[in-house]
Amino acid sequence: MMVYDISAVFEDETVERVIHILSKQSVSGIPVVDDNMKVVGFISENDIIKAAVPSYFMLLQSASFIPDTNQLIKNLSRIKDKPISEFMSKPPITVNENDPLITAADLLIRHGLKTLPVIDKNSRLVGIIRRIDVLRGVFEGKEEL
Amino acid sequence: MEVLTVTLNPALDREIYIDNFEINKLHRLRSLERTRMSPGGKGINVSIALAKLGIPSIAMGILGGYVGRVVLEELRKIDKRITTNFVHIDGETRENIAIIDEVNDTITEINGPGPVVSKEDVDHFLRRYRMSLSRANCVVISGSIPIGVDEGIYAQLSGMAKERNVCVFMEATNALLTKAIKQNCPDVVKPDLRGEQVVLDQKLEEFEDYVEAAEEIINYGAKLAVLSYKIKNDIVATKEGVWLISMTVPLEESHLLGSGDAYVAGMVYHALRKKWDLLEMAKFGFSAAVAVTRRKSKEMPSIEDIEAERNSFTVERVK
Repeated sequence: MMVYDISAVFEDETVERVIHILSKQSVSGIPVVDDNMKVVGFISENDIIKAAVPSYFMLLQSASFIPDTNQLIKNLSRIKDKPISEFMSKPPITVNENDPLITAADLLIRHGLKTLPVIDKNSRLVGIIRRIDVLRGVFEGKEEL
Repeated sequence: MEVLTVTLNPALDREIYIDNFEINKLHRLRSLERTRMSPGGKGINVSIALAKLGIPSIAMGILGGYVGRVVLEELRKIDKRITTNFVHIDGETRENIAIIDEVNDTITEINGPGPVVSKEDVDHFLRRYRMSLSRANCVVISGSIPIGVDEGIYAQLSGMAKERNVCVFMEATNALLTKAIKQNCPDVVKPDLRGEQVVLDQKLEEFEDYVEAAEEIINYGAKLAVLSYKIKNDIVATKEGVWLISMTVPLEESHLLGSGDAYVAGMVYHALRKKWDLLEMAKFGFSAAVAVTRRKSKEMPSIEDIEAERNSFTVERVK
């Protein structure tokens, strides 16, 4: 069920570069790895949005409370050259390649995530699993990742 | 993971079967079976062939646009032994078209140039490549490069792999290969001679030219050099000598698609799963290439199919 894809970014890559990568790959988030391919974090479009909007905004239900949208643009410009290590989710929530599918489903639901990095016993990235992969797996009666 | 394959200029391959193909004429395909679409590019083809032989690999390279997404999705469907790790760019991945005429035994190929790749994307690829080398014993670097990528890149990739004691197999045309051979010679070198017969900037005409070129590649540090000679034969050189492998069974030239990639995959398979015996690796590669020509499409052969071709050729020492 998992996707055997190890596309990843590094901790020192800039926010602007990561936005470009997410956009080109048409994905909402991507694992962050070190030089040995160990997963050290996960950066999503949500992490970047959270970093760019005022902190109180996340508590609100409507964007109409934002006094000035220029603030969002200004904040994005301010962080665009910063390393993603400052904004990524860490430690990352991951699933082991030998875990059952239900573990991935549990983590995705409990943490409200769209994608989980799948790692081997040495914490190295071996792929990803998305919500849709879990749904497809359940539908097809699969029990393994 | 043992094998890393590099395809800097992947393609969406389209095979179209047209009997009595003629230029300047309308051809209508009678059924969908007369056309086939698959992910391609030499490194990707090697990954697909290795998966069929039970060997997992990481397929790396550069993809872009709508065609790039189709290539990636199709590749993921083939086998879970193939892990993908592509850099995605703004440009559009190319399409390669092969028109196969089985009546006249011809194959007409039109290969696109590929997208323009920025330095930033090349640097991103190189960083991912360095990281992926930490998981490989062997890297296969093959095929063309897209516009904007320096011709010295294969030399650079070979050097990075060798620094980490990762074995390098390379199949490429003269310009890319010459720089790599002279700067960081790969372990196994297979010049791509489909277009022009030029190796180390020297035009090959006579049999002796091929033998000398193979020996020169060995002198630069390669352990094995394999040069295709008049389609049905190969010149194989190692430090120990030079051999001529000659096919003894009829060849369907319209079925040659993918045979070079199966050859490389066969050599890698033999090195990893059987023995690092250079002449035997070349023989196994040759068997794999012959096995591919037994079928219409570029579909990769099984181990049994490859083993069955061991008597389809002779091996003669020439030096």
